[in-house]
Order: sequence, then C-alpha cells, then structure tokens
Amino acid sequence: MLRSSALSLALSYVALGIVALVLFAAPLWYAWQVTIQDSRTEILQVDAQRLAEVFRRDGAQGVRSFIDARVRMQIAGERILLLTDASMRPLSGNLPAWPSNVPTLPGNYKVKIELGDHGIQTALVHVATLGSYNLLVGRDNALFAPLQTRFWYGLAAAIAILSIAGLMIGLITRRALLTRIDSIRQTVSAIIHGDLKHRLATHLNDDELNTLSRTINGMLEQIELLVHGVRNVSNSIAHDLRTPLAELRSRLEELALIRPPPEQTFAEIDGAVADVDRVIRIFDALLRLAEIDAGLRRSGFVALDVADLAANAVEFYAPAAELKNIDLAFRSDGSVSVSGDPVLLAQALSNLIDNALKYAPVNGSIEVAVVRRSDGTAQVSVSDDGPGIADSEKCKVVERFYRGDASRGTPGVGLGLSLAQAVAKLHGSALELSDRNPGLRVAITLPFDAASLVALAAPQQETATGEVIASPTLASS
Amino acid sequence: MKILLVEDNERVTQFVVKGLQEAGHTTDHAGNGRDGMFLAASEPYDVIIMDRMLPGGIDGLAIIEVLRKAGKRTPILILSALSEVDDRIRGLRSGGDDYLTKPFAFGELLARIDALHRRAQAINTEIPLTVGDLHMDPLTRKVTRGDRAITLQPREFKLLEYLMRHAGQVVTRTMLLENVWDYHFDPQTNVVDVHISKLRQKIDAEFERPLLRTVRNAGYTVTADD
Repeated sequence: MLRSSALSLALSYVALGIVALVLFAAPLWYAWQVTIQDSRTEILQVDAQRLAEVFRRDGAQGVRSFIDARVRMQIAGERILLLTDASMRPLSGNLPAWPSNVPTLPGNYKVKIELGDHGIQTALVHVATLGSYNLLVGRDNALFAPLQTRFWYGLAAAIAILSIAGLMIGLITRRALLTRIDSIRQTVSAIIHGDLKHRLATHLNDDELNTLSRTINGMLEQIELLVHGVRNVSNSIAHDLRTPLAELRSRLEELALIRPPPEQTFAEIDGAVADVDRVIRIFDALLRLAEIDAGLRRSGFVALDVADLAANAVEFYAPAAELKNIDLAFRSDGSVSVSGDPVLLAQALSNLIDNALKYAPVNGSIEVAVVRRSDGTAQVSVSDDGPGIADSEKCKVVERFYRGDASRGTPGVGLGLSLAQAVAKLHGSALELSDRNPGLRVAITLPFDAASLVALAAPQQETATGEVIASPTLASS
Repeated sequence: MKILLVEDNERVTQFVVKGLQEAGHTTDHAGNGRDGMFLAASEPYDVIIMDRMLPGGIDGLAIIEVLRKAGKRTPILILSALSEVDDRIRGLRSGGDDYLTKPFAFGELLARIDALHRRAQAINTEIPLTVGDLHMDPLTRKVTRGDRAITLQPREFKLLEYLMRHAGQVVTRTMLLENVWDYHFDPQTNVVDVHISKLRQKIDAEFERPLLRTVRNAGYTVTADD
C-alpha cells in the first residue's frame, strides 16, 4: 500500500508535521523548565533568608518553633523543612533525617527525596548553615507534575490526531485517485482492444486529471479521425487503382493472347505505360496527402510572401487560361507575409487554379486574390464563374476521390481539393467554399507571420487586405 | 560517359544498364553499399546513380556523405522510393546533386544524367548562349534570331535560357517545372506544354527550321542539328 503515491505523500506530510511539532515543543519545554527552576530557587532562598533572620533574632529555639509552625500550617506538604545540629541530628521539620544524597555544603540541589506520604519525589532543595546548625529548605516538584503531564499528553494527542488525519486523508485520496485512474485504465484498454469510440469521463472542474483526460480525448478524436480517414482512403484507393489496373491487365492479357502485329503491339505497350503512369500519379498524390495529414511538414514552415506565391501560380497558368480564352486575373494588396510551407501552398494554389480552369466556361473569368485582413491573417481565394457546387455537395468535394457529377469524364484523380483541404488544415485553416452565382469561390485563411506583425504595427498606406482567391468549381484533378 | 550504378534491385539494374548502353554510355554496377563505396572512391566516373536504400549495412546517403567528405566532386543522382519532400531535401543536403523517385521513366533518368554531366563539365556557360542562329545574352537579356529581336516575358526568358543551357540535351517536363518554376509537384494538367508552345510561337513560328523540338515520351530539346 505504501507504493501508492497519494498515501506515501500523505504519510510524509504526517512525518513532517510531527517533526515540526517536536521542534516547536522542545524549546518551549526547555524554557519552561528553566523558568520554573529559577523562580523556585529564588523562593527557597527567600525562605532560607527569613529563617536566617529568625536565627539571628531568636536563636535556634526561635527557628525550631518557626519551622514547627510552618509544618503544621501547610496542608499538602509541598514545603520541605529540616533543621539539624552539627552532628546531623534532626531538631525540627518534616523530614525524618538528613537525606543521604544531599550534601551539607550550602547551595542548591535537585534530588530525589523520600517524602512520607508522597513517596519518593524529585525536589529542589536549598542548604544553608545557621551557626553550627544545618538548614534544609525545599519544595516538592510533585505539584508541577500534573502540568507537565498535561503538556506531554497534549503533545501526544496532537501527534496522534495528525497521524490519523494524515493517514485517512491519504487513504481517501488514494481511493479517489484509484477510482478515477481505474476508469481511465478501463477506457484505455477498451481502446487498445480496438474500440476507438470510447472517451474518458470528464468533470466540470479543472483539476489536473481532468485536464489530462480532456487532452487525451482530443488525441483520441484525432486518432479516430485519422484511422477513419485511412479506412476511407484504403477503400477509395482500392476502387480508384483497381480501374486502371484492370485496364492494364486486360490490355496485357489481350496482347499475350492475340499477339497482334508489331505496330499495334507498340501502341498497346504505350497505352499500358500510360495506365501505369496514372496509377503512379494517384499513388503520389495519396502519399503526399498522407504526409500532409501526418502533420510532418510543419517543420517546413517559413515566413513567405503569399502574394508572390499566388502571382507566380497565376503566371504559370496564364497560357493555359489564354488557350481557353479565360480571363485569369490576379489581385493583391502588395506583399502579404504569412507563415507557411511554400511547396505545399504552391501545390494547393495550383490545384485550385487548375480546378477553376477545368470548370470555368470558355470566355469565362477567374480571379485569384490575396487579401490581408484586419486581424493580421491573410486570405487567399480563387473564384470562377463555372457551374459552382451545390450546397449538398460542398462538404463532399473535399473528401478523397470524390468527384462531382459534372466532373465525370474529365481527367484527374479526384484528389485536388482534398490536397488543398489538407494543406489548409496543416496551416490551421480549412477550405471555405462559397457561391458566386454563378461560380465558386474557394478561400484559405493563413496565419500571419509573427515577424510581419512589426510591419503591420507601423501605419500603412495601402489598405491591409490579403486574400488569395482561387475558383475551382468541382473536386477533381 | 562512364557511369556507376549502385542499385540492389536486379530488374531496375538490368533496365537501367541496358538503357544506358543503348544511349552509348559505359556502366559499372554495384549491388550493395560496400562495393558501391569502393568503386565510387577508387574509379573515376562522370556520374554516379545511387539508390538510397541498400543492403550491406551502408545506406546510400551515408556513402554520398563519405565521398563528399573525401573531396570527391562526381555528380550524384539519388534514386529513391521515398518521395516525401523532406526525404528529397535530406538527400540533396547529404551531397546529392539531383533526386529522382522510383518508379521513373527511363527518359527522365537519362535527361537528368545528361544535365548533371553538363553542369559538372561547365559546358554552355559561355555568354552569350547560341543555338544555330538563335542568340541569347543573359546579362542584357536580349534575344535575337537571325537579325530579328525577340521579346520575351521574364518567365519565357528563363524557360528559354534553361533550354539553351542544355542545348542538344533532352529536358523533361519535371526538370522544367523544378528549374524554371521551382515547383516540386505534379501540376496534373499539361501546363508546361502550353508554355512551350507559346515560346515556340515566338522563336520558331516564322522560321523555316524549328529549334525547339518535342522528344516523344521524354520532353523537349533545343538544337540546331537535324
């Protein structure tokens, strides 16, 4: 049981408490003892002096009657008095004989004395010489004994209460902790056995365990999402790779079976290579997606000018737009610095523009815009005037391999928007799809680059807006 | 050219060695890291093709690092099944000169080897660049064909400059994407082809002999030869 951390912690506190109590009581006890002894010694000396005065005035006889009177008067017998002659014969007082352990030399002594009714008691005695007589005055310590006993009892009681309370608190805490840890353990082992639906119980208060539970729940959420994603993806991969692989297989099988003339054989082989290339392309896109999803690319984050990035992408696609007689426009408010991965952002933007080009009608228009917003974030958007995406399809298009009905028959592996979505997610954002009636506007909001904050703080002439707009219409490519 | 191929997969080896032979190159082959390291360190090669993951306890990147530390400057092309951006960066940082992911088209490999070799030989760095009657001065950014001046957009200029620096060689679409646009991904549609045809409009359209030619299943080349 001592291996329980809660209990051993409580016990160490108890031990610490006891040590503190003793450290507090010891000097107190010592001071008390010294004070008592000093004051009592003083009283004894005063007594002895008074007797010495009586001796001077009335001689030995006077002292004897004085002592007799004193002994008679006292009730409890706390005073010890004895007068002996030079040969140590008791003359008067309440001691039968001069105690053997008290020397006859004048001074103060603390000794154990046989005291008739009271038995052996510790007493403080003062010895003085009156002429040839020996005088012993003393006080029984027994009177203080109850006080001292009470002190010790008090201390013992305090220690006992401390120990019991500490032990109980330890046990209760341990139990409470064990109960909660046990529930966590049970949940976790259920998860280990494959049921990712389980979540740790959390309470309203914000103690350490609760915070931990919430964090773990967040982790489980992410894991479930990833596992779910992987499951979906493997299904989609199976589906999407099976088609080109099936084509490839039948092509090769036919070649082996029919053995057509060389000319036709070579053409078939070219077709087969194209099939394989398509498979590789899907594979690459999936690997890239997996890489981004795993969040591994965050190390590639640098400060970059997203307006420059977008301008380059627009320039890259300009000839392709021209070919379709599409007006591909670019708009930005100067350079817009953000923190991000240049390779992935370029790819995401390129996918969005590619998509827009695919769906914008001939003689249509596409606008790519980079806008710096008032909260310091940048928005990159691509807008087209194509058929747009129905609201019901908006959330589906970013799923892997989903291709809108309108996109059937167009080339692409159906991963373009998924990739853009994954890149947006890596940058702490998401694709925002909105209608342009007609057309689609896809926007990604990017975190600002911390270094650019300084530049932002300085008053700027140009309006600070950074929005990159890409207008892909349907998931594809 | 004398080429060293360090690769453990037999099929890939056979495919590459045969292809290189047909292209007129001599090829040595090492099937594991130890032999590869030994050959690379002792023989003079024009280009080394290095697989990343090798049997024999020595990884391709480790060999490259050792060679570079020993002062070997031979251009090295890394072949790898690892396609993540970070893998690529790691490969180039270890001292590799180019990175090609498996599976690859042989044309791509050949074009890249040629480019590496040329770069090492410092061929075609003379100014101005000349192919047939096409001249380019990278300093003044003037382009002329015959006695006619040609106006190019900045990116078109960069595209033509890259092609002319590799005159007579095949340049693949991926190489153009990487070197002209700095795009390390596949843009899905054939945008590069569109750029090429625009460039062709400007430099070839009104002339009898086309200089910018398409190489089937590989890419493009700028050449004045027939």
